[in-house]
Amino acid sequence: MLKKTLTTLAVSMALTTSVQAAQVSEDVIKQSFFPYANGAPQMKGVSTGMVIDQTNVDSVKDALDPAMYRFIKNGDYTIKVAETTDFALHQSYIDATRKYAGDTSLGAEAGAIHGSTAGRPFPQEPAMDDPRAGEKLAFNYKYGYNWGDSASIYPFYWKYRDMNSGKVERTVKMNFHFLNLTHRTQQEPFPAITPNPSNLFRGIYVQVLEPFDVKNTQLLIQRFEDDLKRDNAYLYLGFQRRVRRLSTGQVTDAFLGSDVMIEDFEGYNGRISDMNWSYKGTKTMLLPMYNHNDMELDTETHKDDEGYQVVKFGGAGGCFPDITWQLRKVYVVESNPVDPNHPISKREHYMDAQTFTIPRNITYDRKGDMWKSWLIGQTHPDHHLPINKGTGVSVDDAFSMVDIQANHCTTGQFKGIVDPKLTPPSKMTVQNLRASGR
Amino acid sequence: MTKKITALNTLAIGVAAGLTMSYGSTVSAGDIEWSGFVENATYFRDQKGLSKFRNTAQAEFTKPIESDGWSNVSINGVLRGSYDGVYDLNSSEFGKDAQQQYLGESWHANNTASSSAVLNPGVAFPCDNNPALCKNLDGYMDQDENDAKFAEFNDRLDFIREFYITADKQLANGDVFNFSFGKQQVVWGKTDLFRVLDVINPVDYSRHNIYDELEDIRIPQWMFTAEWRMGPTEVLDDSNFQLIWNVDKFRPHNLGTCGQSYVMVDAGCFFASSIQGGGPYVINDVEEYDWDLKNTQFGAKWEGVYGDTTFSLNALHFRQQLPSIHALGPPGDNFGLFDIHFPRVTLLGGSIDYYSMNMDAVWRLEVAYTEGEEQPRDTNGFKETDMLRYVIGFDKNLVIPSLGTRSAFLISTQLFGEHILDHEVDMPMDEDNWIATALFKGWYKNNRLSPQVILAHDFAAKATAIAPSISWTPDNHWMFNAGLNVKFGGDETFPWSATGGTAGGGQTEPLARFLNGPIGVANQEDELQFTVRYSF
Repeated sequence: MLKKTLTTLAVSMALTTSVQAAQVSEDVIKQSFFPYANGAPQMKGVSTGMVIDQTNVDSVKDALDPAMYRFIKNGDYTIKVAETTDFALHQSYIDATRKYAGDTSLGAEAGAIHGSTAGRPFPQEPAMDDPRAGEKLAFNYKYGYNWGDSASIYPFYWKYRDMNSGKVERTVKMNFHFLNLTHRTQQEPFPAITPNPSNLFRGIYVQVLEPFDVKNTQLLIQRFEDDLKRDNAYLYLGFQRRVRRLSTGQVTDAFLGSDVMIEDFEGYNGRISDMNWSYKGTKTMLLPMYNHNDMELDTETHKDDEGYQVVKFGGAGGCFPDITWQLRKVYVVESNPVDPNHPISKREHYMDAQTFTIPRNITYDRKGDMWKSWLIGQTHPDHHLPINKGTGVSVDDAFSMVDIQANHCTTGQFKGIVDPKLTPPSKMTVQNLRASGR
Repeated sequence: MTKKITALNTLAIGVAAGLTMSYGSTVSAGDIEWSGFVENATYFRDQKGLSKFRNTAQAEFTKPIESDGWSNVSINGVLRGSYDGVYDLNSSEFGKDAQQQYLGESWHANNTASSSAVLNPGVAFPCDNNPALCKNLDGYMDQDENDAKFAEFNDRLDFIREFYITADKQLANGDVFNFSFGKQQVVWGKTDLFRVLDVINPVDYSRHNIYDELEDIRIPQWMFTAEWRMGPTEVLDDSNFQLIWNVDKFRPHNLGTCGQSYVMVDAGCFFASSIQGGGPYVINDVEEYDWDLKNTQFGAKWEGVYGDTTFSLNALHFRQQLPSIHALGPPGDNFGLFDIHFPRVTLLGGSIDYYSMNMDAVWRLEVAYTEGEEQPRDTNGFKETDMLRYVIGFDKNLVIPSLGTRSAFLISTQLFGEHILDHEVDMPMDEDNWIATALFKGWYKNNRLSPQVILAHDFAAKATAIAPSISWTPDNHWMFNAGLNVKFGGDETFPWSATGGTAGGGQTEPLARFLNGPIGVANQEDELQFTVRYSF
């Protein structure tokens, strides 16, 4: 795997340096996109193939975030460790970083950014003495290659579970669609889809398929390129057959009664300017990243003609994905809401340095007590659906949001598809809500 | 008439089925997706006992079809059947054997205001009890008890609530043309409880007055719709133009037949009344509008999104869905006092939603100007007048930690206004009136436990409805709901003047029921309501 990475890096360097003068050094690109080019990370006590449970978790405590340590210590979950693998992002995204990152800078106001047309805005290593390092990492996440230029979760199963009894209270089946209208690098047109009169950056469209009482509920979130402008959010309720504007107070609400806020989607789904970001350091930690096709899968929840099966869940209450974890280079970032009435006091984000996905989050309530634990498993696209092979997308594949205080969780099982045909721009219009409703 | 209606339905179903088959013969078809529910709604009314024991089965289907030339092709349907056992279980209060002591018994006492009453109480289900009156009412308010028991099984095939085909055509410039035909609901506007722009489908108020979801009480119509979805343009974030052609035979609102448990503004009993002393019936005849091309209804809507604002401009040429009563002059033998008409009207209107970032709230404004409506008068029959209706709405989601949940409560308020442009003093309706509504809804236990309170206040009627309820959804299939529906006010009574009235105006019986409105006239319909539903 590492040999392949080095080859890719060498080829990309040769191609790009001949086209233009690099504004960001190749060392920076290499460090940012290929952190394991010189070898996989190591940590004392952690080895490939080991199983971490409550008997040995203390010996590897530094490799775990506090919430996951607590779960394992309680006997709620065990972790299987696999080798570190290279989640190389798509070459077009790396090239865009080379092209544009040198011109990118933060504005005077928090949430303001200039010159970020596409690619990773700030590929440089964060510095502890940079007071805005956390904000830069947040922008790297916002303009990351998470789901690429467009993708769908088609379908997506959310299960609401009582963590004590393991009872599945509700199963909600949905389709999710993501589309970047700007910052595009791989799917034509790039870097932007036009016309785009309000200069939208991204659209997220959700359509509920089951159960009957929430069937045809649809959600459309339009995020502006201007981070200082609040999202536009629209909700279509099947039983009303009407599109209603949402006040964004609802983005911190339990989405469809789950343990997940709209703001929690993908690790963080809001404006950068809604939070104060601080960089807490770089660590080597275990993250839930794996090859989907190598996992033991759930044979019951989803069946289709392709034979695709979703990730299996187990552990306490069925709240934890049955997947392997691997040692990764991780940026620890903290975000505190600007709004004093926000229902949380802070989130700790554990960002994967190579992909800038956020596989782990810990949310603290307003009193400062640990409230929720977010886990989103990432599969390598080459070990998932055939259509995803070569897309360079770290595919979201299984999530778990545990409400630690309520002993309740919501789990998500994905069929993630990176196919622009499933998410045309018309999907992200208000009219699509009416047209797709009854 | 029945044969004509049946023939029209047969023709419409035939066209829809023909379209379906023509697709079916050339394209591959996906699986049919089915869903639906069975439900029991049991309501108890103060002083009356059981007021509803409705048992419903509803099935919905979608059949996607793949086509080379068209996309998103599907056939969609909603089938519904119900049986309301209240007419068998509480037949002394509701049904063909129900009797009233005086007209207006359902909403006011028999006091001095009615001491000189000139009208008999309404006849329950005239078509079961009074063939002559039934004949006068032919075509409107002429349900018999079985029609009320089995609300969907009638000449208009209401058990087929929806059945339509829809298809998209991708245009070369990226725009989408959508076409749909069949029995369907088309929803304009954004209001709850009361309607301003959402007027394409008539409404069945006999089901539960104004309180059921409009989704369940709109009366679907056979319609063609065509949409040109332009998507984003250089100026607008979204733009869409819609044409509607309602080819169904005209149907007015169903206000409830005298003898049913919900008779909107007591109109059904007024229409089933007669002059005391063997005088004529109140209603002489109901004007019918046979199916004819010139009797069809049509409209257009342009809507779009501009920044933080969504807007629509609407136009509709249709028939007034509330009855207009035309006085016939001095009564004679076998002669009624009024004919019922449904005049042709033209609506022009629009709506705007605006998201206020500072307030983190949404404002809604909806306006409709209708030309050609008719309003009743106490002393001079009726008058044609233009009407202005509008609503201002405010929606906010707010987390209120002190209420013990981290989920946001929905706070939604609306103020409806109605202005009669050519008002006369002897019209029962005020020149201006307003109705305010408020919804306060919260969620607990992962949204499975949801309490809510609905408030509505009619300023002219000085009447208020309060409807607290709580629903429990233990899993994907079951839902239990318990609620109260209590009304206050609407107590004012009025002198009689069915054939004359006070010169110079003032509200009078029997038309004052229109002033007292749907809340005031239901002031004795306080109910305890239970619903259980199993969905699949």
